Amino acid sequence: MQSTLHRLLYDTGTLVDGWRAAAHAGWGWPSFAVDALFQLGWAVAAALFLALNALFIIWFERKVAARMQLRRGPNRVGPFGLLQTLADTGKLLIKEDIIPSAADRAVFRAAPFVVLAATFLLFVVLPFGRGLVAADLNVGVVYFLAVGGISVVGILAGGWASNNKYSLMGGMRSAAQIVSYEVPAVLAVLSVALLAGSLRMGDIVRAQPSYGYILLQPVGFLLFLVASNAEINRGPFDLPESDSELVSGFVTEYSAMRFAFFFLAEYTNLFLAAAFATTLFLGGWRGPLLPPVAWFLIKSYLVVFVLIWIRWTYPRLRVDHLMELSWKVLLPLALLNLLVTAVLVKVL
Amino acid sequence: MQVRPVDPAAQVSIEPSALRDALTFLRDEGFDFLVFVTALDRPAEGVIELVYRLFSYAARVPVVVRVRVPRDGGRVPSVCDLYRTAEWHERETAELFGVEFSGHPDPRRLLLPDDLEGYPLRKDFTHPNLKPLPEVSAE
Amino acid sequence: MSEAPAPDLSTSDEFLLNVGPQHPATHGVLRVVVTMDGEVVKDLQPHIGYVHRGLEKLFENRLYEQIIPYTDRTDYLSAIANNWAYVSAVERLLGLEIPKKVEYIRVLMAELNRINSHLLWLAAYGLDMGAFTPFLYAFRDREEITVMVEEASGGRLTTNYFRIGGFTRDLPASFFPHLQKFLRRFGRAVDELDTLLVENAIFVARTRGVGVISRERAISYGMTGPCLRASDAPLDVRREMPYSIYPSLDFEIPAGRNGDTWDRSWVRIEEMRQSLRILRQAAEGFPEGEHRVRVPRNLEPPAGEVYSAVEGPRGEVGFWVVSEGGRKPYRVKMRKPSFSNFSALPEILRGLKIADLVAVMGSLDLVVPEIDR
Repeated sequence: MQSTLHRLLYDTGTLVDGWRAAAHAGWGWPSFAVDALFQLGWAVAAALFLALNALFIIWFERKVAARMQLRRGPNRVGPFGLLQTLADTGKLLIKEDIIPSAADRAVFRAAPFVVLAATFLLFVVLPFGRGLVAADLNVGVVYFLAVGGISVVGILAGGWASNNKYSLMGGMRSAAQIVSYEVPAVLAVLSVALLAGSLRMGDIVRAQPSYGYILLQPVGFLLFLVASNAEINRGPFDLPESDSELVSGFVTEYSAMRFAFFFLAEYTNLFLAAAFATTLFLGGWRGPLLPPVAWFLIKSYLVVFVLIWIRWTYPRLRVDHLMELSWKVLLPLALLNLLVTAVLVKVL
Repeated sequence: MQVRPVDPAAQVSIEPSALRDALTFLRDEGFDFLVFVTALDRPAEGVIELVYRLFSYAARVPVVVRVRVPRDGGRVPSVCDLYRTAEWHERETAELFGVEFSGHPDPRRLLLPDDLEGYPLRKDFTHPNLKPLPEVSAE
Repeated sequence: MSEAPAPDLSTSDEFLLNVGPQHPATHGVLRVVVTMDGEVVKDLQPHIGYVHRGLEKLFENRLYEQIIPYTDRTDYLSAIANNWAYVSAVERLLGLEIPKKVEYIRVLMAELNRINSHLLWLAAYGLDMGAFTPFLYAFRDREEITVMVEEASGGRLTTNYFRIGGFTRDLPASFFPHLQKFLRRFGRAVDELDTLLVENAIFVARTRGVGVISRERAISYGMTGPCLRASDAPLDVRREMPYSIYPSLDFEIPAGRNGDTWDRSWVRIEEMRQSLRILRQAAEGFPEGEHRVRVPRNLEPPAGEVYSAVEGPRGEVGFWVVSEGGRKPYRVKMRKPSFSNFSALPEILRGLKIADLVAVMGSLDLVVPEIDR
């Protein structure tokens, strides 16, 4: 029996299952209580990861963007500027929370939490390592796509409740954009599910060859990357928040901690989109030598790097071009990809 | 007082009533570019001299058309329909010199605030905030 | 500034959108009131005069030499061109013969200034469109030029370099090595910026076919410079009313085909390349000689009037100077390209979407102090 540490790193699933079985048998608690406790443990771990990830990824983006722009990026607060995000968060926390007088207070307050909740819920099915997943649902992929869509409600709510025509326009544009790009994203994911023969995230990771599905689904990968980029309102698709055109879109009236929540959600979504792409196309946590969780993070941050690269290179797409791209280019390509995949799966 | 032009442009002085015909003729002859419209205040003679500088891209030749109007109630026809650029040049000249361009589609003030009284570029313009510069000595 | 007529609010979708005077995309303090019908621009009312400083009146109370620093500040991005237009007007009034070396220095500075201005235009335009990186690349290149200009004139932006009759000091010894280094490197930098922004597919999609103005209308609106040349009109003051040593230099006047926003951008990139050509020729043929002509300390041009124009980065910059004898001018009229270029905006933008406002205004390359004077 290898050491617990080794199993924790390399085979978390069976280790945790063992603990749970022991708890069920030995503690004398009702089984739902044991399960609830373990799920709470996963939730706490996910929340911790969310916070640390946000801290890291914002720093990462600022440094990478800076170097691409011949600058250095934050380098004063902490070694290599690593504590910059902490400082910024602290600043946001102590700011005055302004709610416009004519805003719908309840909805205004709720909107950031809806968005953050939708984002947080996505951690449930994400396989960080061998068995290192809160609940490997047999419809994991569908869950991921569906719950991700809940954030649209939060965005629309935020835009509408602000009682400001710019916010409303921004919110509606965001919503339209997210909904339109869902379709090619879903179709790209479907092609992968066809190849793997399952909708469970864990199965998809295990079904992939060692080099991942990216070589078998290059078009799918590109489609998914572009569509995800649009769904998280980033990069060339950030018209809803473009400050040179509509002030800040749906986020205009938000300040202090509420703004921080939207901000946090955006960066967490960035990571989740990359993580999802990693799971589906890059082989997830698989890789030699290093612990699975390390591979997962390395691959995810590689995709994050690419998304950052894209954002800082390209100008913004105009709203109608954005829609055209989704419906007239990505959708037909995605359908074609799905068709070809289906035929090849049947034939080969 | 005659000004001796150092400029190669031909100088043409006309009556206000002939302005539109003159400019129409010049435009049809190829003077498609109205470089600027401005004015010179000549208080000693009691006139404001409007200056229109035109240029022909085809012939590479400039021409300057000058119109004199009385300082009080001076009026000339607008040429906005002949040269679209005249719209703004005429508005500016009107507010700075107090000349009226009749027929102008939009004679609002362009550069000056609405509450400023007087015509700033006239030689006799005064304003409580206007302080003269100290005199410059010869050396 | 009085208000424009109010929109007809009884027809549902019309509303007024106020852009400015403080707005990141207006490149200066100006205000545009847009009457919109949904997403479409029905009418546009520009409001200017926020930066009106009464310079033309001011000049009537300044000595001829004292006016030169003011000319920098009308269009601070093309200070050299403004200096040149004014100084050459006074020199013609005085009937001065300008030495060859002075002309060569003037051409060198003017073309460097043109490149500088176009780089800044590109940087700000990219920023408006959401491309953040070209800004920093362009500024890196600008820094090289700014250092050269500062070596020569002492000023980075508002140079106040030209004098009536030439220059106070000759070019420093360090200028030419810097220039040679710059000439070797910059060709590739233009290509890089071109690929990064102007040839980028998203940029092209946003600008091609957008904001078209025909050649006839452009000339009627008094447009000059790249805005005019984009409309299939290769007209440039350096060829139409030649001055200085430009007749002896070999360069092309780039002209666009369609008169749309993309063409206006493309013309500026090409102009940077042509400026490089001119710089190379001027550096190679740089003569020996005097860097100025002696003029009397008390400058009193004889009575007369003259209009002198140069091709600035934005178009035709002209000074109409009227002298009645004496040490101060009787009248100075500044003919500025942005003034006329901006007046065409309502026509260009009518019927387009509001999202195009930023793209089109950026392509006009306006500098507001020049509009208002």
